[in-house]
Amino acid sequence: MQTVTGRWFGAGHSTAPDSAKAGAEAVVAALDGRTPKAVFVFCSTGHDLTALLAAVRAEAGPDAEIVGCTTLGELSSAGGAALGSVAVTALGGDGFTVRTRAAQVGAHSHREAGADVAAAMIGMDRPHTALMLLCDGLTGDPHEIVRGAYSVLGAAVPLVGGFSGDDHGSRRSFQFHDDAVLSGAVVGVALGSDAPLGVGIAHGWHRTEPAMVATRSDGGRIFELDGEPALDVLLRRRGAATAADLFAGDAALLALGLSRRSGEDIRVLHGGDEDDRSIFASAPVPQEAVCWLMDSEYQAMIGGAAQSCAEAVAGLGGAAPLGVFTFDCGGRRGVLGPDGTREETAAIRGVVGEVPFGGFYTMGEIARVRGSSGAHALTLVTLALA
Amino acid sequence: MHQLTDYFAVVTAAADEPAAIALAVERAAELVDAEVGAVVLHEQVHGAWGFGPDVPVQALLAIAPGPGMLAVRGLGDLHAVPNDLGAGLGGALIVGRLDEPLDAEERQVLRGMARVLGLALRSIRVLGAERTVRAEREREAAERLVLLEQARTRGMLVETLLTIQREISNRRPLPEILDAVTSGTAALLGGVPVALVLAETDRSRRLTVASASGPDGSDGAGGADPEGPHLAAREAMTTGTVLMRPVDPDRPDRGTVIAAPFRVTGEMAGSLIAQLPGAADRYAEQRDQLAAFAQQVSLALTDARTVEAVREAHHDAVTGLPNRGLFLQIFNRVLAARAATTGPASVLFIDLDRFKAVNDSLGHEAGDQLLAAVAGRLRGCVRADDTTARLGGDEFAVLMNNSPVETAVDVAERAIAAIKEPFRISGRDVFIGASIGVAVSGAAAADSDVLLHQADVAMYRAKKEGPGRVVVYEPHMHAEALNYLSLRGDLRQALQAGEFRLQYQPLVRLDTGEITGVEALIRWDSPVRGPVPPADFIPIAEESGLIVEIGQWVLETSAAQAAAWRQVRPELTLNVNVSGHQLMHPRFAADVTRALAVAGLPSSAMTLELTESVLMSDPQAAVASLAGLRELGVRLSIDDFGTGYSSLAYLRELPVDELKIDRAFIARAELTGEDLALVRTIVDLGHILGLRVVAEGIENAAQLDALRRLGCCYGQGYHLCRPTDPADLAGLLRRGSAARAA
Repeated sequence: MQTVTGRWFGAGHSTAPDSAKAGAEAVVAALDGRTPKAVFVFCSTGHDLTALLAAVRAEAGPDAEIVGCTTLGELSSAGGAALGSVAVTALGGDGFTVRTRAAQVGAHSHREAGADVAAAMIGMDRPHTALMLLCDGLTGDPHEIVRGAYSVLGAAVPLVGGFSGDDHGSRRSFQFHDDAVLSGAVVGVALGSDAPLGVGIAHGWHRTEPAMVATRSDGGRIFELDGEPALDVLLRRRGAATAADLFAGDAALLALGLSRRSGEDIRVLHGGDEDDRSIFASAPVPQEAVCWLMDSEYQAMIGGAAQSCAEAVAGLGGAAPLGVFTFDCGGRRGVLGPDGTREETAAIRGVVGEVPFGGFYTMGEIARVRGSSGAHALTLVTLALA
Repeated sequence: MHQLTDYFAVVTAAADEPAAIALAVERAAELVDAEVGAVVLHEQVHGAWGFGPDVPVQALLAIAPGPGMLAVRGLGDLHAVPNDLGAGLGGALIVGRLDEPLDAEERQVLRGMARVLGLALRSIRVLGAERTVRAEREREAAERLVLLEQARTRGMLVETLLTIQREISNRRPLPEILDAVTSGTAALLGGVPVALVLAETDRSRRLTVASASGPDGSDGAGGADPEGPHLAAREAMTTGTVLMRPVDPDRPDRGTVIAAPFRVTGEMAGSLIAQLPGAADRYAEQRDQLAAFAQQVSLALTDARTVEAVREAHHDAVTGLPNRGLFLQIFNRVLAARAATTGPASVLFIDLDRFKAVNDSLGHEAGDQLLAAVAGRLRGCVRADDTTARLGGDEFAVLMNNSPVETAVDVAERAIAAIKEPFRISGRDVFIGASIGVAVSGAAAADSDVLLHQADVAMYRAKKEGPGRVVVYEPHMHAEALNYLSLRGDLRQALQAGEFRLQYQPLVRLDTGEITGVEALIRWDSPVRGPVPPADFIPIAEESGLIVEIGQWVLETSAAQAAAWRQVRPELTLNVNVSGHQLMHPRFAADVTRALAVAGLPSSAMTLELTESVLMSDPQAAVASLAGLRELGVRLSIDDFGTGYSSLAYLRELPVDELKIDRAFIARAELTGEDLALVRTIVDLGHILGLRVVAEGIENAAQLDALRRLGCCYGQGYHLCRPTDPADLAGLLRRGSAARAA
């Protein structure tokens, strides 16, 4: 257990059905009697969010920053992979500075929202920094939010985070900032530390040949691959008869990878239009982009989790990790199933040992360490703090 | 690279200069995974991206003239590359990356992006300037017309470039793309002659017109002088800049030649040339347009190579040699470039002998080390300009340009000698060999696939004729190889389709006629070929490794059958033939154990029959493996004894229980004195060493008598009992004696 005077990181979890009780239980476990600088709440949309946040505030004290969002499932060292629950992480101690901002995305201002919350970093004077973004996953155009933050901060500050989810099918997801429950917002958390921070990004997917060119696309809508209607190409490559078969709930997840110097940038394919034969991707696919259908074996995905954590810990430059934030794709959860997510949690433990970790299953992940783009899908992004 | 189209559309659609610059910088950085970017124009920094609040203005201005390191606060030193915007703007698009320098291909894409941005900026300026100037004049109608024309040209430029990009993306054949470039350029420039000149990739660097488009079907921008385009092209390529000069230096108003050079992966590769009717000072815009099209040619040519690179990595990771794909590409290039005066090209197809055994016994890592060492020796046997490649597995190939068959055979023999020398792998000497097939390109147009296949066929023949040989391809081998391949294919199916069955030939005590054991014999009834003799398919099963599976099936099936018969005849023993490949397989002892256990057959009831050649090819490994089997309690027999080495020494060393005298010494109409002497020697030898001696191939009563007299105790043969289906053998076994069942 860490000493209260230095930096500390804790994780808690609760499956209590009563929202106030669940919030209180999880945060008490994470605090373990310490006074936090920031509390991160990740929970199901099924909870009474206002009551839950009020209970968290009561335990965390008046000075703590409270941020978080709703999820496609929670993930923590305290409760493993869970659904319908509350996972809380908290950090504190003299060596940390935490500042937060929130902005509404609105209809056409993804970039402005990203830029706005990045201002949380202004005046940060710790040697090690990162901006965590918790964004509504249902507003579209994740890349523009990340570009907005990048336009302000530049390459010196790593970006991490995730897009909030809605595990109850209500088509709304929520973000938490300053005791308020928001929707359609971006929450920026500027983290500053006296000790290193490390970011890990890994997915465990691989290309299946042949490569294709998105010969006609518009944003996340792909009309043609190699000049042929995109849906027809997908049906043929996957041996399915209709779009409904292809995208059925129990069918294997379909993913498209765009070529990047550092690997693939993955898009989830989540639907098809039988009339105009187009398919829908989770993020824009530029026209004329070279892309691959992606496959993943179960073990490779589990291995991806361990790899992501190992990368994040390696980023600490030899310092021992204090805690780890995990932003894991809800799509991975779907593919892995309950046994797989248990194995995934075990794989994370295998790397970080007894170190507490917490986060959530997202609708998209954010990690920018190299290059200038940072929105991901089907990936596990981790942020380790020393 | 394909995202350039998207880039182009986005940048040219921007409303004003700051928007175009911001988009151009941002997308350029993202496309090459760079952290920072900016445009330096008129000594000012625009569109700074990725620097955060502290833009290093001075450092950016300093980097604009040429590539270098860019120090950025909080980040460190970045590899920065400025890219000329062209279009007479005198500016640069700068991109900086932290981890590693931008490679040639990325720099080329960036150059293309910078040109696109330059064109867009110029277009925006021209439009803006036109607006201002014309607004001051009274003739609004004329203004509208000019603006329309400008917009039309800009639209057409975008449209044409997009069409070409799409052709590149769709992997249209290169000549079609190049034609689209020349005809697109010609159309944009008002139908003037346009030619695309390429330098050949060989040392001659000769220039050829790859595509041309002209008003009267002429071949492009030549005008009266057929050398015209070549001279202009050569000059533009030498200076590396767009060339613009009068067709006739004395009469500048009679026409202007513009030549825009382009590079492919860093190397000057050709020029795009247009001939315009008026004086040079009218054509600043056209010069930029030609430069933009030249950029497209560069991309198309680079792409033709990049696509291949994307689809397959070119080199084998284990040996560092080119892989099959690259080898065939090089081969095709050699064949295409081969002039009538040069000699033929030869290809060697090299297959290692006994590699699989090394890999199985020492492990994959040792196998990989061995392959890398083989690659090194092969390279040492060939000339510097020959190409050595690993085709896959333990197969290599060498391409020898300008090399007659005699030279190829010499090199092949050198290669075999080099590979025969021991390799030091994992602290021990490893001995392997190689068989090589040679094919030579004839006078007729040859195809690399065909030649490689011919060499492969010749290699199979070499293998068949005995390891360590060189065989030159001849046409008749093709049919034989086809038959072999189809047999191998059928064999693969046979086990799954249940086409194998076993017959059993009794082993008889010669003095009493009592059946003491049975030998399991495999039979293949192919539905397409009819019965195939074991001698025809066992060698193929061994080569392909199928023997391990087939052998296991024989072990399991015969063990179960013998166990069933032992209900009636508790002393009955079972002989099973084992191939060398099975014996060397690391799982073999475990497989035997499993077969015995599943069948419930005691190990002492099973005798494994091995041929002498198997034992002699790798005696050390054989002794180790056999000792393991003996520990299980299984008995061992030397089949065909007397035909091979018949070494007394190894009989003492090997844990053998039984000798089988080969039928060659017995199955003759009359046994000669020499035969009899040899048989007697073997029988006596067996007795001295305490081994059971079995005579094979007893076909008549005289032979039986002779063997009895020589003291041979056991025998097999048609005279005693033919190989019989298990159902028919059951009755015989109940009776107990062979009783001349034949």
